[in-house]
Order: sequence, then C-alpha cells, then structure tokens
Amino acid sequence: MRPPTNKVFPSLLCLLCVLCVVHWDSPVDAQRISIDITQPNFKRIPIAVPDFKALSADQAQLAREMGEALSNDLEYSGVFRPLDPQGFLENPQTMGLAPGEIKFADWQRIGADFLARAAYQVQGQAVRIEARLYDVVGSRMVFGKVYEGDARSWRAMVHRFADEILFALTGERGVFDTKIAYVQTQGKNKEIFVVDFDGGNPVQVTRDQSINLSPAWSPDGSQLAYVSFKEGGTKVYVANLRSGGHRLLSGYPGLNIAPAWRPGGSQIAVTLTKGGNPDIYLLSSTGEVLQRLGQGWGISVSPSWSPDGRRLAFVSDESGGPQIYVMDVGSGQKKRITFSGNYNTCPAWSPKGDWIAYSGVSGGSHNIFLVRPDGGETKQLTHGEGNNEAPTWSPDGRMLAFSSTRQGGSSIWLLLVNGSGVRRLTKTGGGQELPRWSPRLSGQ
Amino acid sequence: MYAKTTRYLIVLFLLAAAFACSKKTVPPQPGLGAEGAPGGGFGTEGGGGTLAGLDDAKWRELGITSEQEKREFLQRAEPFENEDIFFDYDSYVLSEPAKRTLDKKVDFIKRYPKVKVTIEGHCDERGTTEYNLALGERRANAAFQYVTAAGANRQNLGTISYGKERPIATGHDEASWAKNRRAHFALIY
Repeated sequence: MRPPTNKVFPSLLCLLCVLCVVHWDSPVDAQRISIDITQPNFKRIPIAVPDFKALSADQAQLAREMGEALSNDLEYSGVFRPLDPQGFLENPQTMGLAPGEIKFADWQRIGADFLARAAYQVQGQAVRIEARLYDVVGSRMVFGKVYEGDARSWRAMVHRFADEILFALTGERGVFDTKIAYVQTQGKNKEIFVVDFDGGNPVQVTRDQSINLSPAWSPDGSQLAYVSFKEGGTKVYVANLRSGGHRLLSGYPGLNIAPAWRPGGSQIAVTLTKGGNPDIYLLSSTGEVLQRLGQGWGISVSPSWSPDGRRLAFVSDESGGPQIYVMDVGSGQKKRITFSGNYNTCPAWSPKGDWIAYSGVSGGSHNIFLVRPDGGETKQLTHGEGNNEAPTWSPDGRMLAFSSTRQGGSSIWLLLVNGSGVRRLTKTGGGQELPRWSPRLSGQ
Repeated sequence: MYAKTTRYLIVLFLLAAAFACSKKTVPPQPGLGAEGAPGGGFGTEGGGGTLAGLDDAKWRELGITSEQEKREFLQRAEPFENEDIFFDYDSYVLSEPAKRTLDKKVDFIKRYPKVKVTIEGHCDERGTTEYNLALGERRANAAFQYVTAAGANRQNLGTISYGKERPIATGHDEASWAKNRRAHFALIY
C-alpha cells in the first residue's frame, strides 16, 4: 500500500554530502579574534553583509537571496547586528573581493566592525562560492574559503559560511547547519517534516495519511525515531534519513511512545505500557527491552537524557498532576525538581547539562521555563503569549525552539536563552508542533 | 425477562431515533450506506467497517441469521457506539453516570458475545501530547477493567489511546473539552 521508501530523503541528506569546503584560500592571517559573548555587557557585533557578487549571468537573483540568507543567519545567532544594506557606499556587483580591493575606511565610516564578502558562479548544476571575512577595524582578512556543490544546495553552503564566521570570532560553532524536525497537521492527519534552522528547505519525512508524533533525532543525525498510528495503536518507528527507509522499532502491546535516543550510543528510551503501567524502558537499537527504568503506579513519559547519558529527566504524575523528575539511570534513584504549578511537562535537558527546559502552566497558559537539574533555580522565558510548549535546545545551547499559539494556530518559534530574539520559524498553515532540534549535521 | 428486554429495546430504539435526528444517520437496515464508526476511517486502525455494509459472511460470524435479529442488532449497535463515557480534567476515574453507561455496554457485549470491540481513550486539547497519550490509555483501561469485571469477554476487547489527537468537538472551551475527555466504544467489523 505505502511505498517502503521515501524518495525525498536522499535529496535531504545529499545536500550535506555535496557541500564541501575545497581548500583554504590564502589564509593571510588566521589569528583568532576572541570575542566573549557570555559577558553581560556584550553588545551585538555590527557586520556588513552586501549582496553576493554574481560572477556569471546565470541565476542573478541568487546575489540577493544568498546575502539575505547569510544576514539572517548572523542576525539569528544573537551575536551579530547586520547593518542595513541601504547605507552601503559601494555597489556590491562592481566592488572587488580581494583584500587590496576592500575600502576599509568606508566600511568603518558606516559603523561596520566586520565585512562578509562573497561571490558566486553558477555553471550548469554546480555552484562555486568564494567567501571572505574581513576585520574592518584591523583592515585585514580573517579567513577566506571556497564552497562548491550542487546549485540547489546553496543554502547549506551559506549556512556553512555563517557557521565559520561565528566560529572565527567567538570560538564557538554555530547551529546554522542544523535542522528542526516537527509535526505538521494536514487535515485529520499529522506528518513529520524537517526544516533548516532558518525555516528554509522543508522536507516531508512521513507520508502515512495517519497521525505521526514525537520525532527524535539519533545522536549522529542520520535517523529520526517517531511515533505513528499507521498500523493501529501507537508504535515507534525509525526513519533512516539517508536511505529513506522506515522500520518498526517498538510495537509492544499497549502504548509505544516518547522516544529519546541516548547520547553517544544507539539505545533509545521510550514509554511502554506492556507491563500494565506507563513506564520508561531502555531499548536496544533493534527494539529489545534492555531495562525498565524505574517503576511506579503513576504515568512516566517524555524522557530526556542528560548530555552524559547517565540521567533522565521525565514526567511523572505520581504526586498528583504531572511534574518533572530526574532519575539516575544507574541507581534508579529519582528526585522531583519542579514544585511550582500543577502541570509541568516536556522536559528537555540542555546540551551543556546546566538547565532543563520544560513547559509549565502558569497564569492559565503553558509557558517555557528553565530549571536547574537539581531543582535549585528556575527562570521563566515566556509570559502568557498564547500556549508555549515542547521546548528543544539548539546543539550550542544558545537557543530554544518550541511550539506557540501566540499568533493563533500552533507554529514553531525560536528564542535565545536570555529570552530575547523571539522569532517565528514555520509560517505555513495547518499548525506545527513538537519541534526537535537536530544535532550538528556536518563538520563535527 | 421478556418484558424487560422489550422495554429496553423501546428505550434503545427511541435513543437511536434521537441520535439519528441530532447527530448522524445510521439507517436501521443494511444496504443504505452509513458513516464509519467515529474515530475510525483512517490508516489501518481497527474499525473502518460500516454497520450497513455487513455481508452474509459477517452476519454468520456474529451468529446472527434472521432478519429480525439483524434489525435488533443494528438498533442496539448504534447507541452502543454513539454513547461515550466522560471524565474530569486530568482524571481517569469512572463517574457514576459513566458506570451506568458501561453497564449498558456490558449488556450488549454479553448479548452479542462474538462482536469485537475497541475501547478508545481520548483527552481534551489542553496539556501535552505524550502525557495525554498515557492519560487516554488510562481512560480506555478504566473502561476495559470495568466491563471485564462485569463479565464482558476480554478476548474480544481491545484498547487504544488517541490522546488529544482525535477530538470529537473542535471548540476551545470547557463545553468542547468536556465532550473530548471520553472513552468511546467502536465495533470492529
């Protein structure tokens, strides 16, 4: 009935394969400029991003689209403040690329600390992007790189350039090459999609005309576990994003829900009711039960691993309403960490291990909170702008994606962990929910 | 006994007539076409058949042969499927009205011991997907425990949780939420 494979997948992952940095381009001065973005007085870095220079007549519209994609990436990072191109003094299609051709004094005059300058050439199916980052104040090139690949994957190349700009200036890698999986409502059905970090390039992962929920990335980003009703009750399946194949992982009697891949391995935590009660189990990569993690009379769902894979945050209702608990997997000891409010769910452990994000009801709506893994400190990040649920961390721990009804139907939103930089990721109709941020997909 | 059954049938028939007017039309005889069971009709989940679409083989499976028995079955099946039991917010405790409704389900299941039934657990839209899937299963299980304790054959009963994924009322107010916090009995054909 359904095709066993999905032909969209290869194109999704081949983007990552064709994208390559072919060589260093005259690293004049690779000396790192260190900017500490964690300081409280940190101000966004002003950067100029002119349109890319079109070196061939083909696809001239890309000049602006590439510049805008790069500018958006840098803006979303929370680190940069891209300057308004209206104020630029030179025509980006005539100005040069090489250090000797850059008028540093002009760029300094309009307030730029850095200049991201690039040109592109389309030849048939291929595109070649030559990209350089200039330190305007120091009048020097920070780095230069060339990206080559399929012309359709130009966005991935621009994301890569943004990532390297951030790394060169802060020593921290960005998340511009990451993706976000989410659930899209289509009439009575729900299907899983994957979209670039900036909302571009949406790809449909499931086509079951059924309800698909709870996408969860494997640690290497090559597979997505998800829950589907396609064969009756909830079962957990795994989509291989490279081959496009789908396989059943967990089809035990009763519920099979809430998959969470253990960091650094192939084991998966899920909630099963095969023992009569909704408990969390540890499964092998082929679905054998390795261990039941804790056991109670209450509901235990939504496991989220600590980055070292030793502890789990999860939701239990054993004290009445749902609350967040942390369990030590080795000893089985558990501790409740949320005490404010009577409906706290959707825990998500941060990549650095220092916070657990969750969704809690306060003031009549769901809001995003952070709590220390020992329950010691709590921060509220959203304040009643609709319902805000299902937080998920960017791999650098600087951003959260979540679902919000602040503009009517549910859509996916992003914010910086300091509460600023709120923006909407998905703008299509039908409703989007249950986002899950991928690990870094290249250059690890 | 006969008088009681007759009275019951009349009540059921009136109920069926009321539902036929207010909710949806399930014709009392085969062959006129009817909607699928609520909650059915997508993917490959249980159910998906229609009352009116029963062929002779299915009737034989159900152990029903005469025209009168068929009519009686269809009359009783309609309220069996359309009468849900309801729960409080974040609760899977059976209320007294819910138990009385379940008693009627037990009568039907005992009267037709060969029918197969899926008990669906549903939640309102508030709260999170995964917790609601677990809560929905608890609601389906609460109904399952009750009817099997009352003598319904567990071999012919299955449960499924839809969490908050299949609301029957789509409003965003307590009136709609109350309708969605339910367990629904669906006949499998």
